Amino acid sequence: MSYVPGQPVTAVVQRIEIHKLRQGDNLILGFSIGGGIDQDPTQNPFSEDKTDKGIYVTRVTEGGPAEVAGLQIGDKIMQVNGWDMTMVTHDQARKRLTKRNEEVVRLLVTRQSLQKAVQQSMLS
Amino acid sequence: MKDLACTSDSYVHEQSPSNQTSIAMMQEPQEMVEETVTVEEDPGTPTSHVSIVTSEDGTTRRTETKVTKMVKTVTTRTVRQVPLGPDGLPSMDGSSPMGSYTDSIDRRYMKNGERYITPQASSTLTRSYNSYNDSYPDSHEGQYRPYISHDGYGDLPDNYGSLSRGVNYRPRYAYVPGNSYRPDDGSFTLPSRRDNYGPVAQPQVPVGSNVDLNRSQPERFQPEPYGLEDDNRSLGVDDEGYELDPDYSTVNRRTSAGVSERGRPHKGRGYDDPIETEMVEERIPYLHGGYAAPLAQPERGSMASIDRLGKRSPSIDSIRKDPRWRDPDLPEVIAMLSHPIDPVKSNAAAYLQHLCYENDKIKKDVRHLKGIPILVGLLDHPKPEVHRKACGALRNISYGKDNENKVAIKNCDGIPALIRLLRKTNDMEVRELITGTLWNLSSYEPLKMVIINHGLQTLTNEVIIPHSGWESEPNEDSKPRDAEWTTVFKNTSGCLRNVSSDGAEARRRLRECDGLVDALLHALQSAVGKKDTDNKSVENCVCIMRNLSYHVHKEVPGADKYQELDASQTTSTGGSQKKKKDDAGCFGGKKAKEEWFNQGKKNGDLDRNFDTLDLPKRSETAKGFELLYQPDVVRLYLSILTESQNFNTLEAAAGALQNLSAGNWTWSTYIRATVRKERGLPVLVELLQSDSDKVVRAVSIALRNLSMDRRNKDLIGSYAMGELVRNLPSRQQRSAKNLEEDTVVAVLNTIHEIITDSSENARSLIQTQGIQKLVAISKSSQSPRETKAASHVLQMIWSYKELRNALQKDGWNKSHFQSVSTTPKGSKGTAGRSAYDDSTLPLVDKSQDNEKAGSRDMIPMDELGPDGYSTIDHRDKERKYKTSDNTGDASEKEPLKNDTNRKNINRSNRASVNLVDARDIKPQPVDSWV
Repeated sequence: MSYVPGQPVTAVVQRIEIHKLRQGDNLILGFSIGGGIDQDPTQNPFSEDKTDKGIYVTRVTEGGPAEVAGLQIGDKIMQVNGWDMTMVTHDQARKRLTKRNEEVVRLLVTRQSLQKAVQQSMLS
Repeated sequence: MKDLACTSDSYVHEQSPSNQTSIAMMQEPQEMVEETVTVEEDPGTPTSHVSIVTSEDGTTRRTETKVTKMVKTVTTRTVRQVPLGPDGLPSMDGSSPMGSYTDSIDRRYMKNGERYITPQASSTLTRSYNSYNDSYPDSHEGQYRPYISHDGYGDLPDNYGSLSRGVNYRPRYAYVPGNSYRPDDGSFTLPSRRDNYGPVAQPQVPVGSNVDLNRSQPERFQPEPYGLEDDNRSLGVDDEGYELDPDYSTVNRRTSAGVSERGRPHKGRGYDDPIETEMVEERIPYLHGGYAAPLAQPERGSMASIDRLGKRSPSIDSIRKDPRWRDPDLPEVIAMLSHPIDPVKSNAAAYLQHLCYENDKIKKDVRHLKGIPILVGLLDHPKPEVHRKACGALRNISYGKDNENKVAIKNCDGIPALIRLLRKTNDMEVRELITGTLWNLSSYEPLKMVIINHGLQTLTNEVIIPHSGWESEPNEDSKPRDAEWTTVFKNTSGCLRNVSSDGAEARRRLRECDGLVDALLHALQSAVGKKDTDNKSVENCVCIMRNLSYHVHKEVPGADKYQELDASQTTSTGGSQKKKKDDAGCFGGKKAKEEWFNQGKKNGDLDRNFDTLDLPKRSETAKGFELLYQPDVVRLYLSILTESQNFNTLEAAAGALQNLSAGNWTWSTYIRATVRKERGLPVLVELLQSDSDKVVRAVSIALRNLSMDRRNKDLIGSYAMGELVRNLPSRQQRSAKNLEEDTVVAVLNTIHEIITDSSENARSLIQTQGIQKLVAISKSSQSPRETKAASHVLQMIWSYKELRNALQKDGWNKSHFQSVSTTPKGSKGTAGRSAYDDSTLPLVDKSQDNEKAGSRDMIPMDELGPDGYSTIDHRDKERKYKTSDNTGDASEKEPLKNDTNRKNINRSNRASVNLVDARDIKPQPVDSWV
């Protein structure tokens, strides 16, 4: 799961569609993100490669829209509604996720357990 | 339990340092350790699944009981099929085998590596039926043969005795019908088989049971009597199989027993005809065929094939004699988990649970065969039978020393799946299984935070709060509800107890979990009210409370605002607290309170007459984590200390007081005063007589922290000194109770604290004949830690010049008080100090030390320093207490650092070094909710 700038990325991804929940004036997804190219990647507890500046899911509200949709803590977000999330700043990612005019976000995420599952099935 | 111990050690490290550091004040770490231990025990509880199953004596039996159920089911099927039976014979027998066979077929597909396709399975069944009716021959064989190769023998030959047996058994059935199928047999056979083999066959049987066909005549076969018998037998069989005969020998037995010997007791297996043995081997292939056949109609298919082949003669004979049932091998069972027919899945899972019971090897094999992800997948299965059984299997698999199994469950996202199921199901048994599994998982440190992340709020909302009787908005009409000590609550509290020891971040999450602290306190109050304070649930709750009370003065949002003057001066302190400050903004009205408290503090600190201290009145009732350190909790803990006979609970309650009375913030000042006002000191002193080492230790350390209050120090010096000294080993014997080194050191450190700045207390130490013991320890103890601690006390005594006359009258001279200690000091002294400094203790901590400065200065840092330091790194139990003096301070801080770093699963790294890192990391990663 390490990435070389300029090189295509190969990853096992899962599509997750989250329907935002209206809370007062806000539409919420029910998870939090960490990471971004402007953040210190060494502090990301979820990345295998400590130079990975991707956007990671750091918390998921129990029972919230994101959890219902299957998002999990530690997931790396690859795309949001088709937009790349592997080379964005933290704030760009946040804004992309919180568009007020979008009630549904479609994520492409990858996680270690997915990778492993695929590897295993290929091995066996 | 032992396994857990290991875990606990690591925990201990983290926390223990803190214990030592705070010396008097913080000893929570120790407590933490205990918690870990507890966890391990709990896993044992999970094992109880079995118990759930049956109420019989042995747990194992219980498990088997479940198996029995499965058998029954099979029978039912048979009945249905019977009508189908072409022969008109008691098709019952035949039919049942078929059901089971069907299952096996599916499995085999799986093995082949082909994807299992439901349609196929169904088709298979059909065929078999057809073939059954029409003719056994070709169709069956064609299908089955391929599978034969797959059989367990090929894969797992020797290991699974049961498999071998199983093979024999099943085939029998299959063959029986064909060759010497007797109508009578049919009817009889089933029962008899069950009696003898039932257990073995169970796995398959369950599969068969899937068929709902049973509906028609299930009742007949279901008779429980069978089940019971089966269980017993199965028990015997299983044991034998796994333990004794992995090899064919087992097979032989069974075979013999099987067909011809239905009537015989299992144990009759003695059947050892050489011929038979050979036959068995030969048979095996057939058997397999037969086995496969079961899917469709094992018996016939196999027979038909046999006939054609012409091999029949030998094999058939043997077959007839042998029981046809055989157990599926492990790969087959795991393959069955993916069978399209739900009952097959559930039966396979139940059988797996049974197989895994107290068998680490099987658990490991299941893991290697990739069975765990399949089981986890079944947790989301809509049918209760399926997810229940899958959950049961996971519980057994998650139990034990092999943490790899736990990790495997986590790696396939088993923890969120369990939590999901918990939210969905109302089935008590399932909830017990889920929480039991989580309890098991929580004993492994790297999984603790995962559990917190995925399930803390759910566990709290779904279990803790409802079972605690707490209501966030109590209905005034109804009287408060009592806690219910259900298994679910016990499991869940055990799980939370384990995860609560995972460092500062874990503590923070638990403290801030809505309703958790409130519910736990309510449950404990209910326990005290009903005088029911000895059970495990109470123990778990108290342990959680103790852990959450640890470092509460540093970790709670806004804690810095309550710091007493000393602390505030050294503001440069922790970064970890700063983060939390921001959060504090959320808590309305705090500012006013804080100011109020700040005024109070000053008075408190300076005023030694705490009795006159008025506790602050709150404008609003405390809630959530604030409840942890409200003076009200003192009465609760003291009640528990008075009532409970459970050593773990006593230790935890004393530890909670220890934690709360540590630190130098306003609340700990109140707590210390409250303990005195609630007449808690005599309660604690009395517990110094406890037979439990750890209780003595926790109480001793609590007294040390409490003696930071001047009034308490005077009282403790007057009334506790005798008991403390009594716990010290005398020259000849270690001590009446033979306390552990850690405890002796804790007692010595407490004595040291009590006599610091109090010549009166030092005098009472002399009067209780303590000097003699101290000198003996310092001169002749085998333990360097005890020696050091004792010599520090002696030095302190000698520093009171006004006492020297009295001492010399008793025949003591300066050498008794200094010689020993000096030596170590010289060499180690500097090193120790440097080490201390290196640890980069937070300034705040130092300030705390300074409070005690008098004593510290007196004490050679050197001696303590080195040990303590090293201790921390080691994580060993030793270090916990060793460090208690100087190092202790460092340790306390460490936990804080951990918070920042907490992601680091490796506890070993937590040593003082971590602290440093944590600080450096200060720039907090941005984390945005979306």
